[in-house]
Amino acid sequence: MGRYLVNIWESVSTMLIGLGITGKHLLRAKNGNVTLQYPEEKWPRPERNIGFDHQDYNVIRSRLVVDINDCTGCKKCERACPVGCISVEALKVPKGTDLGVTSNDTIKRLLVTRHDIDMSECMYCNLCTFPCPEECIYMTGGPNSHKTPIDYEFSEYDRNNLIYKFAVATQEEIDSYTIPVPVTPAPEGAKA
Amino acid sequence: MTERLIKNSFIHGEEMILNIGPQHPSTHGVLRLRVKTDGEIVSEVTPIIGYLHRCFEKHCENLTYEQVIPYTDRCDYIASMNTNFGYVVAVEELMGIEVPEKVEYIRIIMAELNRIASHLLALGTFGLDVGATTPFLYMFRDRERILDMFEMVCGARLLYNYMWVGGVSHDLPVGFVEATFKFLDDFEREIDEYNNLLTFNKIFIERTADVGIMTPEVAIDYGVSGPNLRGSGVKWDLRKNDPYSIYDRFDFNIPVGEGTMGSVGDCWDRYWVRVLEMHESVKIVRQALQQMPKEGNVHEALPKKVRPPKGSVYKRTESPRGDLGYYIISDGKPSPIRLKMRSPAFTSLSVLNEISRGWMISDVLAVLGSLDIVLGEIDR
Amino acid sequence: MISDQLATAPWLMWFSIAGVTLFLIMAFNALAAVYVERKVSAFVQDRVGPMGQGAGLHAGKWGLLQTVADAVKLLTKEDIIPRAADRKLFIMAPFVIFIGAFISIAALPFSSIIQVIDVNIGIFYILATSSLGVIGLILAGWSSENKWSLYGAMRSAAQIVSYEIPAALSIIVVIMITSTLNLQGIVEAQGGIVWGFLPNWIVFNNPFAFLAFFTYFIAGVAETNRTPFDIPEAESELVGGFHTEYSGMRWAFFFLSEYANMFVVCGIASVTFLGGWQSPIPGFMNSPFWGLFWFMSKVLFLMFIMIWFRWTFPRLRVDQLMSVAWKYLLPISLINIFGVGLWILLVGA
Repeated sequence: MGRYLVNIWESVSTMLIGLGITGKHLLRAKNGNVTLQYPEEKWPRPERNIGFDHQDYNVIRSRLVVDINDCTGCKKCERACPVGCISVEALKVPKGTDLGVTSNDTIKRLLVTRHDIDMSECMYCNLCTFPCPEECIYMTGGPNSHKTPIDYEFSEYDRNNLIYKFAVATQEEIDSYTIPVPVTPAPEGAKA
Repeated sequence: MTERLIKNSFIHGEEMILNIGPQHPSTHGVLRLRVKTDGEIVSEVTPIIGYLHRCFEKHCENLTYEQVIPYTDRCDYIASMNTNFGYVVAVEELMGIEVPEKVEYIRIIMAELNRIASHLLALGTFGLDVGATTPFLYMFRDRERILDMFEMVCGARLLYNYMWVGGVSHDLPVGFVEATFKFLDDFEREIDEYNNLLTFNKIFIERTADVGIMTPEVAIDYGVSGPNLRGSGVKWDLRKNDPYSIYDRFDFNIPVGEGTMGSVGDCWDRYWVRVLEMHESVKIVRQALQQMPKEGNVHEALPKKVRPPKGSVYKRTESPRGDLGYYIISDGKPSPIRLKMRSPAFTSLSVLNEISRGWMISDVLAVLGSLDIVLGEIDR
Repeated sequence: MISDQLATAPWLMWFSIAGVTLFLIMAFNALAAVYVERKVSAFVQDRVGPMGQGAGLHAGKWGLLQTVADAVKLLTKEDIIPRAADRKLFIMAPFVIFIGAFISIAALPFSSIIQVIDVNIGIFYILATSSLGVIGLILAGWSSENKWSLYGAMRSAAQIVSYEIPAALSIIVVIMITSTLNLQGIVEAQGGIVWGFLPNWIVFNNPFAFLAFFTYFIAGVAETNRTPFDIPEAESELVGGFHTEYSGMRWAFFFLSEYANMFVVCGIASVTFLGGWQSPIPGFMNSPFWGLFWFMSKVLFLMFIMIWFRWTFPRLRVDQLMSVAWKYLLPISLINIFGVGLWILLVGA
């Protein structure tokens, strides 16, 4: 009988305590809520950028970007990627060709003909950004936000649009290094 | 109560096979349970796994040692820092790398914060399994704050790839220490609120105390580890019993289940051990933050190339779910010749049939919730 | 009384007016209750719930259009009937449940003049009809040909039958005090002042009646299958319980009747224990119109309490649910009857 009454008392008291807690939250709903009204409100940037001021590395994990003008075609990022979503192709150019220099004053010796990143495969591990000698592959935002602002919203209607093609070398440029310049103009319709 | 019910019931109906999952609100991922029931009472539970199998171990044989780390993230995605930790500690032992003091402290802080986050999720979903929706969201709110701090440190919220062989990927950012202290202060108050709202609620106690009792013998026989083992009253924690990293420098207790509300090793004990462990983790993080050296390069000890010498290593660490072991065989090449992961959640799941037999369908799901399994780790 | 005047009108018109009005009330009740449920759950859980703001206007100001959007979605959804289901019963089940709640509301006195039908055995009638819904639940569970649905149906049958008893026994306390079965009579008996300052509601009449109110309310929460007694549809165990296989408008009817049942249970509680349309301050704003206001506010307050319960408590297990009914509520309600009997004998009603 004692146990019986204790059971009743425990049920009632613990339930009232529980109701009190939820009631307290109910009353302070205006100030206590943690919801972010997403499309209108976004993450408070300054708070999340707290570590960026004094660090020169990229801490954000968002979209991968390649500064193709700085890329030397060393393929280190391609090798570092665990899922193989980066594919780089570089072309050896004849000696003496001037491809320019990167922003680190490294002389470019290879013409990057293809630098594709399949963002639908990317698992955001950040492993490709560390080995890059020119720091030209990085995730948007962070210390690079002056070049490319942070971008989390890159959904696409077509899956193919998620394959980012960064190489800028034109077909003519590639041809000029591979095929000897033909004497006669190419026939109509043989467009590259 | 139910035990008696079974014994006294003289009416035995036909047995029915009930499929719980793979699509079911409370199977914690894609788990399928084939449950043999007689009315409400369950006579056999067969977990059928493999719906999330991703060939982790085979895949690792084709990846370099650094590239394995993001894959370990995806095994136990609730506590990625701890899975990273176990792996890098194993590789470091194989290569004989001494990591700088600061790295050790950062790793401990991250691992313990992630333990809190993982336990919060475990307790929240357990509450959800017995029908309490609100504590789950409160716990998610606090877990979110931990994830925010992880994001501050390494940019990722769930799958960090933060710990590297010989170091960590990023140094702690400015303001991290203060933010963490502030969080810890707030968090200890929040734990009391959860306790009042859920832990000591009479209905919750009725649903969990004396349900799914796992005796210490059963737990040891099945190789159960972590909070589930400690819930059965066995004082076994690798952080104390086989210290790795610098866990021997901290002062903390190992909470064990005492059968406060029912008998030792019931669901409530497993739940309560996790609550107490969060308190202990808070203690460890506080100490680590105070002792951590201010200066230090976290990239100092990074090897130029992670290429361990020929040999093998087995290293076990205490993940939030139990003993997480990595067995790595190296033949001197850039990728391991064999990598085996000893998953704590797998052994926890194997005991499900033993401890939920004879209980009701609702209890099977409560027991499953109390075991805190992560399917990503079981299937790998 | 309006009902007397209308009784002279052709019975068909009278029936259709009353039916349509009741249906509208129930539909609006469900719409509002779903909105409140969403908002209360959100506020309790530190969220904001359905919201609309800025140019997007997602769900109207404060998300007011959310339930309208839900209703439109449910109406336009594909109606799926499983091939293995017992088609006739499957289609019938939601309506049977709905009718159970529908005909109970008819006897509720919204005010001293607003009542669809004033039966002289009103309370008995409501108790009888509000448990009709369980037939629908069993039909739904059985006809779905789904193990989850079957479990849900068996559980809910056991649950509702058990909780009818403490609920009815608690109501007997009221009948003992007021000595009438007529709902208007019960409400009228609750006018005036008791203990010097409290309104003469039965809940304040004596300590046992006070206890009886809580017994009835807990049993009522169980009868409407809401948390902590929501085991027939226990989401984390039985997926959806008896309505697992239902979709679209048929499912919406289950929803509608759940909230209608809540309304009925809260309506009975406020009529029998909380003075129905009587004002809380006796003699103050006690006109028939204000009566409607008082009645509705009492009902909505009780519904709010039910919603509050739902977002606070875990769920009981089947056997524990039975033990709450038979071992705790039933003895307590018997003690209540005994106590009230003594009270009437010694103190007077």
